[in-house]
Amino acid sequence: MPESEPRLIRGYLQVLAAQLPGPIVEELTDGLTETYRSYRTRGLPADAAAEAAVEEFGSAQEILAGFARVNPARQAARRLLGLGPVVGGCWVAALVTSRVWPGPEPARVVLGLVLVACIGLTFVAALGRRYRVAVYSGIAGCAGFAALDASLIVGTLLVAGRASGLTALAIAVSSARIALCARAAVAAQQNT
Amino acid sequence: MRAEELKGHLDAVLLAALEGGPRHGYAVIEALRQSTDGRLDLPTGTIYPALRRLEQAGLIAGTWSVVGGRRRREYRLTPAGIRALSGRRAAWRDFSATVTAALENAALKNAALEDTACPSPNPA
Repeated sequence: MPESEPRLIRGYLQVLAAQLPGPIVEELTDGLTETYRSYRTRGLPADAAAEAAVEEFGSAQEILAGFARVNPARQAARRLLGLGPVVGGCWVAALVTSRVWPGPEPARVVLGLVLVACIGLTFVAALGRRYRVAVYSGIAGCAGFAALDASLIVGTLLVAGRASGLTALAIAVSSARIALCARAAVAAQQNT
Repeated sequence: MRAEELKGHLDAVLLAALEGGPRHGYAVIEALRQSTDGRLDLPTGTIYPALRRLEQAGLIAGTWSVVGGRRRREYRLTPAGIRALSGRRAAWRDFSATVTAALENAALKNAALEDTACPSPNPA
């Protein structure tokens, strides 16, 4: 939007730009500029045209809420939360039945803390209404879950030497989650 | 018609607006206004998240161009979008024929019952 165009429109776009990624803001800028110009073409003075364009466009909160709903990070976080109990259940069953504990106790405490942090971050991404917060917490949650899964797989294989039965199943679901995390993190990164 | 009344049908309506060829967000809104004689009253800004959602679902594809010094994103239907539009159109025709039949048949039956209960006076 050129400097000569109304302050109301610039302010409106600034509110959106504070929350949304650049490409989305560029697209909205184009749409709002077209809306504004259509009112100018119909003979409205600049300020009235800006007011009409902003009113027609809808409130900034409405638009932010709409983009929050389609945020790929939010959708990936919801999938991760759905998958979490499956992965966790497989690992609990595998570790309890094989009595193989990956790494010494302090390392297991760290893994537990990382797990709690990842669940927290993923909840923020899944429920967050702020687009950028959801993206960054989603990426951090994905990275944490991938690191956690990789540590569990490597730790278990180092201690047990081989994987069979439930441990093999737990490793398979963890590997699937690592793949999901990688794809989700890339998709979220493209939307920052 | 307000956005909330369109809930559940917005995707089909947006796909239909892109059937005539690639369009950017504002042109999609204009196409919808023209095709509905202005009866569709959507806040323009709310169609952009919907277009993103359709793009994520692979039903439309967006490309950037530069117009008047501004970057503009244009959308076109993908083959999956064309199939989805055709499916939704068929489903809508089915739904609308069923509801119309139910509403109109009920109205005809009520009218017939009223005639039986209160026959019109015989002029003779």
